[in-house]
Amino acid sequence: MAETNPTPQSTFTGPLVVDPITRIEGHLRIMVEVENGKVKDAWSSSQLFRGLEIILKGRDPRDAQHFTQRACGVCTYVHGLASTRCVDDAVKVNIPANARMMRNLVMASQYLHDHLVHFYHLHALDWVDVTNALKADPVKAAKLAETIAPARPGNSAESLKAVQDKLKAFVETGQLGIFTNAYFLGGHKAYYLPPEVDLIATAHYLEALHMQVKAASAMAILGGKNPHTQFTVVGGCSNYNAMSKDALANYLSLTQEVCKFVNDVYIPDLLAVAGFYKDWGGIGGCTNYMAFGEFATDESTPEKHMESSFFPAGVIMNRDLGKVDKVDLGAIYEDVKYSWYKPGADGLHPYDGVTDPKYTKLDDKDHYSWMKAPRYKGKAMEVGPLARCFLAYAKGQPEFKKIIDTVLTKLSVPATALHSTLGRTAARGIETAIVAAKMETWIKEFADSSAKDNTLCAKWEMPGESKGVGLCDAPRGALSHWIRIKDKKIDNFQLVVPSTWNLGPRGAAGDKSPVEEALIGTPIADPKRPVEILRTVHAFDPCIACGVHVIEPETNEILKFKVV
Amino acid sequence: MTDSSRKILILGVGNILYADEGVGVRAVERLLETYDFSDNVTLMDGGNLGMRLMQPLMDSDYCIVLDAVLGGDQPGTIYRFTGDDLRKSLAFKDSMHQSDLVDTLIYCELVGKRPETVVIGMEPYDFKNMSIELTDIVADRLPAMLDIALKELAEAGGIATPKA
Repeated sequence: MAETNPTPQSTFTGPLVVDPITRIEGHLRIMVEVENGKVKDAWSSSQLFRGLEIILKGRDPRDAQHFTQRACGVCTYVHGLASTRCVDDAVKVNIPANARMMRNLVMASQYLHDHLVHFYHLHALDWVDVTNALKADPVKAAKLAETIAPARPGNSAESLKAVQDKLKAFVETGQLGIFTNAYFLGGHKAYYLPPEVDLIATAHYLEALHMQVKAASAMAILGGKNPHTQFTVVGGCSNYNAMSKDALANYLSLTQEVCKFVNDVYIPDLLAVAGFYKDWGGIGGCTNYMAFGEFATDESTPEKHMESSFFPAGVIMNRDLGKVDKVDLGAIYEDVKYSWYKPGADGLHPYDGVTDPKYTKLDDKDHYSWMKAPRYKGKAMEVGPLARCFLAYAKGQPEFKKIIDTVLTKLSVPATALHSTLGRTAARGIETAIVAAKMETWIKEFADSSAKDNTLCAKWEMPGESKGVGLCDAPRGALSHWIRIKDKKIDNFQLVVPSTWNLGPRGAAGDKSPVEEALIGTPIADPKRPVEILRTVHAFDPCIACGVHVIEPETNEILKFKVV
Repeated sequence: MTDSSRKILILGVGNILYADEGVGVRAVERLLETYDFSDNVTLMDGGNLGMRLMQPLMDSDYCIVLDAVLGGDQPGTIYRFTGDDLRKSLAFKDSMHQSDLVDTLIYCELVGKRPETVVIGMEPYDFKNMSIELTDIVADRLPAMLDIALKELAEAGGIATPKA
């Protein structure tokens, strides 16, 4: 394994703002104060207002999922699922086994898709200098590729040269497009991969583009369509076609291809890149972790969901892996003291949540985000892959334990190094490999079960008054939707999403959110190009859900295209 | 391959929760309600843009994108531009989206199949407030947008027949 490089650092002192953070969904602004080359204080600010709670009031509870899925362009299904589960809970229906398995399979596909895209297309450019790949020697790179990803034939000197040529053509036309979104590329001293590794990673970046299409296609087979799946209904699922032999065979073959890529390419790449950036095992850590659990074998209540999940639910405080607590859903609340909402609504449980906007101004450190600040028993909690890995590791879950120990051994770092930006990125890969290893078994279970009895939905009745919670451990982290029903209509609906847990503002007590905490101590090599901030922020896979997707031309050139 | 066998995708994109932001999706819905299409034509509600649209884009030879466009003109103004113009006129680094339409098209090109693309866009009046209805100004202009899209479709080799 490669030598650990020292983290380059400047002597810069002063404020820095990264706005907007790109390669994410939505609009996120990060402000930091740097002192002598290290981040001393940080503020995470979401610049888009998400008022879903307002638009849902008074509607039929069954419609909630169709609205919440539209909040975002990426994780549409997880919102659909959380909304459906919260109404399942409110109407007290126990969904059939087939429906549970089908929902879990689509979630598994979502994991494969999201994590692949995140690692290669959203996060890799923080570590890999694509332009540096032009300097690589393809023959040397091919030899290196054999050691990095031996199970992957096709990384020949010729094919790597072809990638280099393609890249060169892209750079020369000045239309880097997707790559220019990484606006810190090109001779930055915080990038220290050899050009050959940059080239291999770039080749795999392109391969991963093919793979994510397959993962998304697989999702559409069971989900009816993608994006915006249409197969979850309160009481179960509706896509009977997905139980046909042909559909399942097609789903299996696409999934197998993606899983092979995960094992043969994603995980080896992750280990190779991490090997060069081991110093990031000491940067970007948080303190408390929480997960709601996913891939349950019992969905009859939210508590059973948490108890029976393959990805375990639980809470870890103060990095103490020796003590895992059950999640107390009554101990979740949201603060708005530092957000752009009317004051006085701090500490409200989501069932009683209020969404009443009150914008002040951009550079206001007392009110600086459209996000609320969720807290659990007074603490900011990191949610997502790292939280799930710690919980599974602490609980001795064998699949997780085995692969985490292997990764730690390969990188020769202690388990404490996982409380970091590197750990968060590694955790995402680790759980992708675990899902990939399970997929065939899960597909077979579903095929066997649905062949015996094709029940996909249970009967239920809408109560006049009720409440319910839908829990989900989405790829980004713990997600919950909360509904109160009155006169058979939505009286209150609140979404507490992974990005608000991870990227919200300070709590009412003035305590920092996980990303704000994680940024403290980050070294900054070049204040004009603070890629180090992106590394930690992107590691959380931020999603400031709701994206306003208007095409916005930069120049007046557009006017000549006017037709009417 | 003759024109009539070209696979054409009419892709409506946007977020229907933000009033006129969803004009592209609403346009596709309206087309589906009022017309039948020849077999080489697919209509799709693309929702919010993203890489998930790569498969349908790569499955098509010609793509007509319907979307809201901020061109600086009066609300309801309709714009037409092609994929290449789109690329020139956009500032990628300020894109607020994880990957916008242009990025997605570039990704398609990198993977090896980028459809010829034309964008028919409309200047929105309100795209910031949450509403699932279009504003009156934009709703009034929707038929004009559909006419242009249908003309575009006919030129590309697709047939739309009004429903009885």
